[in-house]
Amino acid sequence: MSDDRQPADGALAGLRVLDLSDHRTQMCARLFADMGADVIKIEPPGGDEARRLGPFVADEPHPDRSLFFWYYNLNKRSLTLNLETARGREIMTALAASADVVIESFGPGGGAAYGLDWPTLHRINPALILCSITSFGQDGPWRDYVADDTVLTALSGMMYVNGFPGRPPVRPLGLQAGHGSSHYGAIAIMLALHARDRDGVGQWIDLSMHASTAGMLEHVPGSYFQNGISEPRRGSLHWSRFFRVGKCRDGYLMHCMLADWTSLIEWVNSDGAAQDLTDDAWNAYAYRAANAEHVFDVLDEWVRDKPREEILERAQLLRQPYASVRRPEELFDDEHLIDRGYFVEVEHPELGRSFRYPGAPYKFSGTPWRVYRRPPIVGEHTAEILRDDLGLEADELAILAAEGVI
Amino acid sequence: MAAMPLEGVRIADFTWVVAGPVATRILADHGAQVIKIERRIPGYFGPRKNGHQADLNRNKLSVAINMGDPRGVELARRIVRLSDIVTDNFSARVMRNWGMDYATLSALKPDIICMSMSGLGHTGPRSGYVSYGPTLQALTGFTRLMTDPDGRPAGYGYSYSDMAGGVSGALAALAALWHRRRTGRGQFIDLSQLEALTSVVGPGLLDIAVNGREQPEVDYRAQETPAAPHGVYRCMPRPEHDGRINDDRWIAIAVRTQAEWTRFVMAIGSPAWASDSRFATLFLRMRNKEALDDHVARWAAEQNSEAAMELLQRARVAAGIVANGADVCARDPQLNFRQFWRPVPLPDGSVTHVTGIPFELSSTPGSIRTNAPFVGENNEYVLGELLGIGAAERAALEANQVVWAPD
Repeated sequence: MSDDRQPADGALAGLRVLDLSDHRTQMCARLFADMGADVIKIEPPGGDEARRLGPFVADEPHPDRSLFFWYYNLNKRSLTLNLETARGREIMTALAASADVVIESFGPGGGAAYGLDWPTLHRINPALILCSITSFGQDGPWRDYVADDTVLTALSGMMYVNGFPGRPPVRPLGLQAGHGSSHYGAIAIMLALHARDRDGVGQWIDLSMHASTAGMLEHVPGSYFQNGISEPRRGSLHWSRFFRVGKCRDGYLMHCMLADWTSLIEWVNSDGAAQDLTDDAWNAYAYRAANAEHVFDVLDEWVRDKPREEILERAQLLRQPYASVRRPEELFDDEHLIDRGYFVEVEHPELGRSFRYPGAPYKFSGTPWRVYRRPPIVGEHTAEILRDDLGLEADELAILAAEGVI
Repeated sequence: MAAMPLEGVRIADFTWVVAGPVATRILADHGAQVIKIERRIPGYFGPRKNGHQADLNRNKLSVAINMGDPRGVELARRIVRLSDIVTDNFSARVMRNWGMDYATLSALKPDIICMSMSGLGHTGPRSGYVSYGPTLQALTGFTRLMTDPDGRPAGYGYSYSDMAGGVSGALAALAALWHRRRTGRGQFIDLSQLEALTSVVGPGLLDIAVNGREQPEVDYRAQETPAAPHGVYRCMPRPEHDGRINDDRWIAIAVRTQAEWTRFVMAIGSPAWASDSRFATLFLRMRNKEALDDHVARWAAEQNSEAAMELLQRARVAAGIVANGADVCARDPQLNFRQFWRPVPLPDGSVTHVTGIPFELSSTPGSIRTNAPFVGENNEYVLGELLGIGAAERAALEANQVVWAPD
């Protein structure tokens, strides 16, 4: 199962993952590719539907210019295969016979039409791990319900608590039902791999995106199960009551009253803006928490006419964990991230350019996360995989292409 | 039933607050023995065996060791010698100051895996900064772009950053453990929660890097989610059990394809406005979103949210209520069918529930076996059984404040 083209330096080097997941959870297999696994994105001829989603390079829609596809498919190889044909399914089966992991999202029981159901795969390759990702799981009253990321974040409780009281709930930035599910999927697969090390056999993972998103809540279940409370929307006030957004002359910042109270209030008072917060009652932690709205109202007035940088610099000196409420564009100029080498340059020779990508979410000292290859163009690796893995000759490949199989 | 995947794996867990405990709870749920090495912080985080703390710390053990005392550090090092993974989520200096950094611990146990889940990482000009979920969400753009329709930043109402960092940490630990099983080599994982969170911002990051485009506030028009109608719509108020009228009921709807649009229109009774030529194609519906949303909002305002969801789902249209705590924790028929929320016993013999496991492994499933430990609840097991320290010596350690008695 090793692939000698893949440099054996990632933590997951030597693993082969076949990725048949739809646009919602392509991050799952990417997490493996980033750690050195050989991940093959199986796409229909013409390209995966994710390639039709924007944004696009220079806003020019094209299957090889989808930034949506790029983001989720860095480090993968691409093989085009028409699973609607018998020969396509045969090739799929042959690839699965020597793979470690198959990830699919055809819907409950949906892989069966392509021979990608658990009994079939388990029979041809007992060591294989199949991860089936569905919106709601393989069983239950909602198993056939349909959902996109918006609906999943709504149903799972993630959306309700974002936004202002009396106003509409606010959808998360990014496809967080997909991202959370992708991470839980990768965790589940790693667990199954560890079990395989011991038991020698693979297993089937039934991953629900709905439950995965409900597994990314913080305070909601605790408050409900302990106190029967449905947590409300509180605007930007964090449920802990220690943080709220404030507005300076030139931008927003995040107030924090979790660090040393005395030094914070001395500072505010030195600007003549502490109002009643110098009263002794405010020294009590519980009193501050109970009256957090008032504290932040006073702090808001204090910062209103000040430049944001002035507050942030001084806060850091006083070890007050204030933060800039930034736009994501500012991440690319963040000296700390740049110093750590977070952003990585990825060459796109076919466009004659390179682009900055977000990089490692974790730095491994021995087996570093890294860029092995840019996201694949449609079917870029079809020939090499079929030749190297299945021993197909050039004339056979030509016939398969002519027949619309690859 | 086969053994859980991580049986035999031991984790010396220094993590606290949320991100670290989320990572180690996933490992504990699947059989790892997670030993929380912690100090007492009376009342600070709420009760230990109920609510948030039960949710985070079920299945774990706790030993209360005073790391401010060199003898405490020595005890912790003895636990590390018997462990596979050491985790913390302090800022970079804390473990170093205790002499519990990777260089020191890998000298004691060469194949140890150390994972530090600090806010900003162990290198870089701001590695010493203190950060929390809300400040990290502010720095990455979540807070600024998740706005009210009137433009005010709201952001997540909770520390999503801790959840994102937690699942990233669990995955990183599992990958390092996999590598160690193949090579015998441990390593250090420097997980910056800022970077873990940035990595889930999404394709918008490439839109910035490649096209130089300023990212818009979150709405329902993004190219990555083409649909119209698409959004949340307020539904009819609903009387609650206590007689209160709840007017905070909403439905999320996403109509993506032409076929879905046809089914949507039929499901809501084929109103005349739906045949308006401005709504004929997805492109036109997205372009005339405001007018379309007005019509859908007027329809939704007359609907019970749950009934509207059922109506639309029967027509195979993506729709779901915007679930509040009670909806998701108690009234969700799907999560209840799959027994997502798992029972744990309370000290008084009654039962509460905690977040379960979102996936089912067919032959080695995880489990929720025990409620969270009180701080120091497992002193006797960890110090006595694991380290072989006799009762008299343990009493002396307690008397000298090297170890704190259980709560």
